[in-house]
This record gives sequence, C-alpha cells and structure tokens, in this order.
Amino acid sequence: MPHLPELLSPVGSFSSLQAAINAGADAIYFGVEQLNMRTRSAHSFQIADIKEISKTCHKNGLKAYITLNTVMYDHDMQLLQSILKEVKKQKIDAVIASDYAVIEPCCRMKIPLHISTQANVSNIETVQFYSRFADVVVLARELTLKQVEHICTTIKRKKIKGVSGELMKVEVFVHGALCMAVSGKCYLSLHSQNASANRGACVQNCRHSYTVTDNESGEELKVENEYIMSAQDLCTINILDQLVKAGVSVFKIEGRSKGAEYVQVVTECYREAIISIGNNSYTSEKIAGWMERLSAVYNRGFWEGYYLGHKLGKWTKGPGSVAIEKKVYVGRGSKFYPRIGVGEFLIESGSIKPGDTLMVTGPKIGVLKEKINRLMVNGSEGTTAGKGDKITFPVLARVTETDKLYKILPREDA
Amino acid sequence: MPKIIQYRNKCIGCGICYELQPELWRMSKKDGKASLIKATEKKYIYSREVHTSEEIKSREIARACPVKIIQVL
Repeated sequence: MPHLPELLSPVGSFSSLQAAINAGADAIYFGVEQLNMRTRSAHSFQIADIKEISKTCHKNGLKAYITLNTVMYDHDMQLLQSILKEVKKQKIDAVIASDYAVIEPCCRMKIPLHISTQANVSNIETVQFYSRFADVVVLARELTLKQVEHICTTIKRKKIKGVSGELMKVEVFVHGALCMAVSGKCYLSLHSQNASANRGACVQNCRHSYTVTDNESGEELKVENEYIMSAQDLCTINILDQLVKAGVSVFKIEGRSKGAEYVQVVTECYREAIISIGNNSYTSEKIAGWMERLSAVYNRGFWEGYYLGHKLGKWTKGPGSVAIEKKVYVGRGSKFYPRIGVGEFLIESGSIKPGDTLMVTGPKIGVLKEKINRLMVNGSEGTTAGKGDKITFPVLARVTETDKLYKILPREDA
Repeated sequence: MPKIIQYRNKCIGCGICYELQPELWRMSKKDGKASLIKATEKKYIYSREVHTSEEIKSREIARACPVKIIQVL
C-alpha cells in the first residue's frame, strides 16, 4: 500500500479550526485580510490571528498553510510584505500562491510554497517549471484520474524535486464546491456586479436559475434545468482508493466559508476513509455510511467531478444546499461549571424540548452535537425552553460566550 | 451636503472607487485598501461630507463597490 495522503481541511474561523483538529485533519489552510479567495466570507482572519492559528495548529501536531492566491495588484505589495513577514515569524508551514508577486518573495524569504489550483497546473511540464519554487502543486480541478496518475508517476520516474530536495508532491481537491469555470478563472461575477471572483469576491451568479428568452418574439426557450451553470459539489469518498493509488500526496477539502459542522463531518469521513484504505477495510457499506453523513451537511448534491472523465453536466436542481439537515440558531453560551463539566446556554430565539438534537460551535469546542433527553431549564427539569430561559447540559470543553447553540432539524424539502 | 460613509475593514482593495473617482479616493500603500481622502474615522467607519456636485458620481461609486461598503447619505 502506498504512503497514505495528508488530509488538508479548510478553516475560515476559530470554530472551524477546532473542528478540524477534533476531526483528525493533518493540516489546515486559511486566509487573512483581502488577499485570499474567500474575502467575501462573513468570518475573516486578520494578520494578528496568524500567531494564534500557528500556535494552536503546532500544539496539536497539525500543519498550517496560508492562502495568498488572489490576483495581486501593485497597491497590495506592502500588505503582502507584512503578511509574509508575519508568516515567517510565526513559522506557518507554507504559503499557497499562484501570482509571481507572491512566489518570488517566498523564495527569497525561504518560505515553503505550494502552487495554488488558481495556477491551473494541468501537465508535468508545468509541475517541472514550478518545482524551482515550490514543494507541492495543487492540480487543476478539471483533470481526470488518469491525467493525475500520469503526473504523479512521471514525478517519480523523472525524480522531479522541489525546493526542499524532496520529490514534488501532488495535491488534489477531494470534496467541496466546483466552479463552472476553470478553477476560479471566472468573470461572470465581475461582469454582473463588478465583484471579481479572482479577488475572492464572487457573488456566485452561476448558482442562480436562468431562463433563455428570444428577444424578438419574447418567447421563452424551454430549458430542462434552470440552474444551467451551477455544478454539483465534488465528492470522491467512493473513489478515494483510486486517488491514493494514483499517487496523490495531499487530499484537500474545499469550504473555508462553510460552517464548523461541515468541516467536522467532512474531515471525519475522509479521515476514516483514509484509515480504511490503509488497513484494507474500505468497503461499499462504509462508503454508504460516509455518503449519508456527508449528505447531512452543506452540499449541492454530489458527483465525482472530472476524475472519472464525466462531461461537465451534473447541475444542481435548486439554489443553495440540499443537505438533509439544517441548523437553526437558538442561543449562545453563558456559563461553564468546570467541576461537573456542565455548560449553561441562554436561549435567544425559538424553543427547545427534550429529544431535540442540539449543536454547539465555538472556538474552543469546535463542534459538539448532542441529543438532549433530559432538559434542564433554569435549574430544574422542564419540558420546554424558550427565549430568555437558561438551559444546562454536560459539555466536554469549556463553554464561553462566543459559543453558539443551534437546533438540528431535518429539512422539510429535502 | 451629501455624506459618504465607508466601512473600510471590509474593503477588498479592488480599486474601482479610485478608478472612477480619484478626487475622493486613493489606494493605501500600507494595507492595500481604499482610503476616503480627508475622512474622519470612528470605529473603523470612515466618513466625510462632499460637495453636492459630487453626489451623482459618489452614488455611482457606491453601486460599483463589489462588497457594498460605501454609502451615500
């Protein structure tokens, strides 16, 4: 059995970071300020957060990579320098980049470099070219399994080594959103809202529904599916053994702007799958189980991407997620009783009753999901808790005021 | 007089405001974000009044901003 790949999880908040650690990621990637591909995202890290991210990751034995993979302008250079200085100081394990304005200073400052999927690496010649600057290349998401395998075997055959002196490593996306355009190189968003996807500001026009109208007659053309540009999400858990066999070194999960529960579930499933491949217990029953768990968190429906040579044609049937569960915000953490390991939560909206499944997300907890059989309301057992009530239940980690409490509900339309 | 407000910490530094209205905007070399010239700051929100003749153009900038962090009151 070949060497098992590293599992790389997306982190867009401290809650997601903790979730990735708890779920068994080998490494995480994150972005700061406006120079990453998720600048529109609600949560965003600042330069000052790099220190804590690095400390938390290294304490838990994870590697931390920073994305600096947007298109860079001249007015970004000083900010870029400030970020790189902090990256070097805090010993972030690598920078993920595609612009030469980032590649060059990383080489100069001896910061390990990974070539982003934004560079659209699709052949061995390009891998060879980037080997002068980097140690890892993230391949374009449009390649087939055979093409990926060919690149991996040629690296070994030709002994193409990166800056560190080790053989170049190949990283591929295994799970998450896919673009209708070639790996993010899309101008739809820029055309319609002046919001460049290549500066992380994509407004996701491709996820909308469209009709086609004949301007002369006003007649509407019949289009089978109105979501004509919205690709379904990539999910490779059923072909993961083939990707391992192909010689891929790093499995990357997309989703820095998604919630901590997504990071937790997806990382857990892929971690279990990698272990199963390692000990020859990768079975179709297990795959079915993982698929079910993956379907519960944010997704637009799954397909195996381009790896199996499918034509671009797996379109979503609606806007947003088709996850079979949804989370509804009900309140936040208010107190923690460390001796008995019980957390107290203030209900701010909705109601909770015994039997409900609750989820807590927070920077220290990550994600915690629990079915409440006995409901303790304001200190005594109750049958329902509403706005203003305080509920308590056992929690493994310290509860703080930044922790959010959600109720998990099945989606009615799923 | 119309007032321009910029929620600067959400700026992604695309430069469209500076491109369309260089009289009022410049790109900060320090952090790569757009700066509203002669604005006063309160809790990372920048604002200033401008002459009425600038209003139409300023509204155009507010519409053009991809992350909608500019307002004209």
